Amino acid sequence: MWPIIKITYREMISKRIFTITVLMSLAFLLLFGVATWFAAREIRETMGAASGDAMMMKRFFSTQLLGMGLYFGSIIAALLAILSSVGSIASEIESHQIDTWLARAMPRRQYMLGKFLGLASMLILYTAMLYLGLIAINQWVGGGEMAVQLRATQVMTGLGYFLLLPVILVCVSLLMSSMTTTVTGGIFLIILYGISFIGGFVEQLGSLIHQESLVQIGIVSSLIFPTDSLFRLSMLSLFEAVDNPLSFASQGIFGTSSPPSAAMLYYTLGYGLVALLIAIRIFQRRDV
Amino acid sequence: MSDNVIETIGLSKQYDGKGGCKQITLQVPRGSVFGFLGQNGAGKSTFVRTMLGLLHPTAGSATMLGYPIGSVDSRRKVGYLPELFRYPDWLTGRQLLKHHGEICGLSKSQRDRVIGEVVEVVGLGGRVDERIRGYSKGMQQRIGLACALLSDPELIFLDEPTSALDPIGRKEVRELIARLRDQGKTIFLNSHLLSEMESVCDYVGIIHRSELVTSGEWRKLSAVKPQVEITIEQATADWHARLPFVTDQRLLKEREGQATWLVTLDQEGRVPVLLQELVASGAAVHEVVRKQQSLEEVFLYWVQQKERETHVANH
Repeated sequence: MWPIIKITYREMISKRIFTITVLMSLAFLLLFGVATWFAAREIRETMGAASGDAMMMKRFFSTQLLGMGLYFGSIIAALLAILSSVGSIASEIESHQIDTWLARAMPRRQYMLGKFLGLASMLILYTAMLYLGLIAINQWVGGGEMAVQLRATQVMTGLGYFLLLPVILVCVSLLMSSMTTTVTGGIFLIILYGISFIGGFVEQLGSLIHQESLVQIGIVSSLIFPTDSLFRLSMLSLFEAVDNPLSFASQGIFGTSSPPSAAMLYYTLGYGLVALLIAIRIFQRRDV
Repeated sequence: MSDNVIETIGLSKQYDGKGGCKQITLQVPRGSVFGFLGQNGAGKSTFVRTMLGLLHPTAGSATMLGYPIGSVDSRRKVGYLPELFRYPDWLTGRQLLKHHGEICGLSKSQRDRVIGEVVEVVGLGGRVDERIRGYSKGMQQRIGLACALLSDPELIFLDEPTSALDPIGRKEVRELIARLRDQGKTIFLNSHLLSEMESVCDYVGIIHRSELVTSGEWRKLSAVKPQVEITIEQATADWHARLPFVTDQRLLKEREGQATWLVTLDQEGRVPVLLQELVASGAAVHEVVRKQQSLEEVFLYWVQQKERETHVANH
């Protein structure tokens, strides 16, 4: 399996999409840093630090800005996960590159698991750097005005949920890649991700305006494709302070006013695992 | 263990009951070069891909090196050069071979040694550290050949191995196949280039429209229609009329009273009788040459016979 993991690393690094994504991510972090610096300066000049209201406003703005950065970061990570993995099996079958690998004395499940581990570990590394980069900018560039008060355990728990997003997407992408063409799989996955993305917003909006039907739509969309719930759990872990009487985790469009249940987390994990197992099963049985 | 490295019984891989290969039953002896002949689309590559587990058979069974096809063990000592040789073009030739070596379980020192050997064997010595995207088609076929040989396989499938090579490269591959056979390896050679196959193959299987028409030692297959070229003088025009074992005769040339005929006999061993009869009839026999049929003639004979059978069956 290790040779397949190594080939997957090498392939990802050699692909233009990975290089472009890394460069654009650096540009995004730079932009986020500049925005955070200007926001901190603006708040410092206009609000001062004396009143309680001003403190609340600062904390609201800081969580919103970081939430926005993390949300955009999650989209980049998700798109990279989809685009780098949806063709990993399908395109090799289409081009017949896979023939000589599979003609070796290696079970197909090893090939699939090697692909999964290679893609997932690479994306975990990338996503962790993006997440920690955003947190670091918030903490060090934001200064006293924009820095969200975070404990290391909050950051790590939030990171854990955040990293599950590309892992689940790789599982589902490999399922698509094992049963259909690159283009079909890519379109299907982006639509699924869009459903989750929109459904997440609808659910939070429904919760904010107390519209149960909107919340239900969000839950159904999460059942169809549960990636948004991981982002919401990550935000909840990051911004929920037990010693704070007012939760910032529930505020704004990037917050989590309708928190996913533990059952939803298990469902999401099961979703990814089942997708990967089905992918292996289909790949073992299909002609290449 | 059986002395056949490949044994198939009614192996089929068809798509909605059509195409592919159908009811293939054959044996490939160890240490031989087996040529699998057929027109484009006859089902040669489908058969090979089914043997290698890339395609799942729709019927029948087969073993490779004593293990059922589709199992990991069946592929443990097998090399494969596909017809559509496509390799990750972002790798260098050496990186590709290293990855294959790792999958084959070769240690680092073994890999380095074997890679050095195979790139020399296939004539890629100076270019192995270049990216595959810069390789010509011929070079890609050579690196594919190196991949196939990397694990020192007992059985090597070569699917159209010279399709992208120039005449010198083709000759080198033919020589390589002969060397591999001398080392005791079995080569399963898929090709429609019959003239190339003729010089290297010991056994052939002929596949036509998905079905195996015949298989065996090709020089014995050629004996299905024994022929001699005979130059005679003073023979009557209907000299063959009273010789029932002459199934066909064709006048090839006539010069200065001597006529050269291509005579087809009903079976091997009739040549002495033919000569006795001719001499007894007063003809002077100047030359008798046993005609060795080319592989192309053998192939066409069997394919045409199959076509006739199909035609009769359909009408």
